[in-house]
Amino acid sequence: MNGQIDIYGVFLPALLVLAVIAYVLSRQASRVLARTGFYRLVWHRPLFDAALYVVILGLLAWITRGY
Amino acid sequence: MKLSLAASGKMLLTLAMVGCAAVLGLHLWSYYMSAPWTRDGHIRADVVRIAPDVSGIVSEVLIHDNQTVEKGDVLIRIDPERFRIALDQAEAAVAGAKASLDFAKNELDRSDSLLNSNVVSVSRHDELQSNYRKADASHQAALANLDQARLNLERSTVVAPVSGTISNFSLRPGSYATTATPVAVLVDAQSFYAAGYFEETRLPRIRPGARARIDIMGASAPLYGHVVSIAAGIEDRERSDSNGGLANVTPTFTWVRLAQRIPVRIGFDDPEAARQLIAGQSATITILEGDDAG
Repeated sequence: MNGQIDIYGVFLPALLVLAVIAYVLSRQASRVLARTGFYRLVWHRPLFDAALYVVILGLLAWITRGY
Repeated sequence: MKLSLAASGKMLLTLAMVGCAAVLGLHLWSYYMSAPWTRDGHIRADVVRIAPDVSGIVSEVLIHDNQTVEKGDVLIRIDPERFRIALDQAEAAVAGAKASLDFAKNELDRSDSLLNSNVVSVSRHDELQSNYRKADASHQAALANLDQARLNLERSTVVAPVSGTISNFSLRPGSYATTATPVAVLVDAQSFYAAGYFEETRLPRIRPGARARIDIMGASAPLYGHVVSIAAGIEDRERSDSNGGLANVTPTFTWVRLAQRIPVRIGFDDPEAARQLIAGQSATITILEGDDAG
């Protein structure tokens, strides 16, 4: 996680890239959840979505921490 | 009743998710805010600036740019002719001084044997003794000059003081080399270390002896090392007074403040791997804690 990602000579902090990936993943996840009707079980949808994003980002960071 | 059960179930699910997010988010925060790692690390090495000890025309250059040299290898030669002549002169001066010394010694010995029979005055004897001492001093001075001439001749050959690699070198024979003006830069092969510029907020978790991981930009495998020492001081940027003057403190009122960077010196565990490094390379340095510290 402390590495950096080299995009054509520009070194970006890994967290920035992970944040973008996590955003895309959380959008996809929320779409899937909406289709399966999961949101009927959710109290505040925006709060749940925000938490979902942080969880995905945290997990991504945890998975990639050794790199 | 049934409705409120469903509602509380919904609430519970959402709050559970928020709880998970809080835990993971806190983890992320602590990692990025206080974990002892920095992207602001550099590979450093000690550099010897090689300057000739005598001035003269460079007659021979035995090295080329980026060449690896061993301690004691000849790097350049300065035209020794002038120093050979100086050596001859010094030898001649020694011979002259020796002759004067021998003469003064003979005169003194003669006067010694005649002093008791009152043939030589005490004053004359004192004079001869003084002459002898002067001649002896001149002889010693001539010997010292000879040593210096020898040293100058020896120093007209510039040798490598340490093993390492010559860098940024472009001296050609025929150039004029001047005493104390560097002509070459030698990177000491033994002196490679990593300098991590850690934010001051992370220092409480860094101790000398801690294991460190060094990821060099562009290298696939990490290197490992240990914290050798932490700098004792850095420049105070808010202050620009000189010694003996009054304090000159820059008046600032800043909402956003940046943590100072403190250099931490990290020695490599494997000196052989460190030899492949280039001084100045960028590195990410992580101080390993807990299970990783090993």
